[in-house]
Amino acid sequence: MKASENNLNQTPLAENVVDRCKKGDVRAFREIYDAYSAAMYNICIRMTNQVSDAEDVLQEAFIQVYRSIGKLEKDTSLSAWIKRIVVNHCLNYLRRKKVYFEEVGEMEISEDTGLDEAQFSYTVTAVKSAITALPTGYRTVLNLYLFENYSHKEIADMLGISESTAKTQYMRAKEKVRQIVNQQNIMN
Amino acid sequence: MSDNFEQFIQQNRAAFEQPGPSPRVWDALEKELGQEKKGRVVSMLSSNWFKAAVIALLIINAGVLFLFVKSKQHQKNDLALMIPEMQEAQVYYSSKIEARLDSIRMYPAGEIGLDSAAMRELELKNDTYKMLEKELKNNPGNERIRAAIIRYYQLKLDLLDKILEELEAKNATPGDLKKQYEEKI
Repeated sequence: MKASENNLNQTPLAENVVDRCKKGDVRAFREIYDAYSAAMYNICIRMTNQVSDAEDVLQEAFIQVYRSIGKLEKDTSLSAWIKRIVVNHCLNYLRRKKVYFEEVGEMEISEDTGLDEAQFSYTVTAVKSAITALPTGYRTVLNLYLFENYSHKEIADMLGISESTAKTQYMRAKEKVRQIVNQQNIMN
Repeated sequence: MSDNFEQFIQQNRAAFEQPGPSPRVWDALEKELGQEKKGRVVSMLSSNWFKAAVIALLIINAGVLFLFVKSKQHQKNDLALMIPEMQEAQVYYSSKIEARLDSIRMYPAGEIGLDSAAMRELELKNDTYKMLEKELKNNPGNERIRAAIIRYYQLKLDLLDKILEELEAKNATPGDLKKQYEEKI
């Protein structure tokens, strides 16, 4: 199982559910929806940063799941396939919002933050809030790597950027989160 | 190697998850799927109609074979009666059947809804026809075989007309449809 497939299937699915769904059985599709919608919704929330937009994107993605399930090959993981459809819909949403992922020069890569992590503590609330506050490009790369478990190479391919840019964007996003959390620590 | 931040996320992964979407998402999906399902049912009906048509064709073949088997008991050799008459019929029906097959082939395979085996069955010179033709050559004067072939032509022509009517009722002109299909690809 690939790392990006972790933590996806909430409910065990009946063996023949995909075959039933391929035949247009809406109850089978409901079973698939029930098993994956929560995890997929979380992806949409993280990527869109908006509840209503996340629900719209989720809906669009599941319509595509229903329409395309006939093309799902036997050996393909259902969870990874659905996840990829959802992620693609999220990326299309961002493109519609004119979010561009630009290349970063090699010289601009810097991981040294100057921040001493021992000096402050992370909390779930603080980190969530910091990620929400990130610029969309950084947030997207950080989410895909940290929460959706895609590799830098996979992220680069999805976003049409180089692997080194994906990596740099991730480093910067992480640094930005640290800075925001540090600020929150100081203020509190 | 994971740093403190990454370790923190990994250790608290579940705390970053929210409950699932509101029921409105499924309601909207169900509504959308209801419309799609209607479309699918229409498409399946049409596909089944074609399947029924091919079954009809197979029954025609079986009927023709039955006539042929019976005819074996009453074979006569009357070459003079057969050749001009059958040649005319063959030219007449073949041209009509081929014209209809050409029109049907203008539609994308997905619209016709038949697999390659079923399409072969629609062809003029399928296995039944070839067998009858061979027998007729061996027994040119046999009236039962001749009648069976003429009946075969007529039934096949009727069936192709019905398939074309159905396709035309369902779609725009074949050329337009093919163009749309190619654009989709």
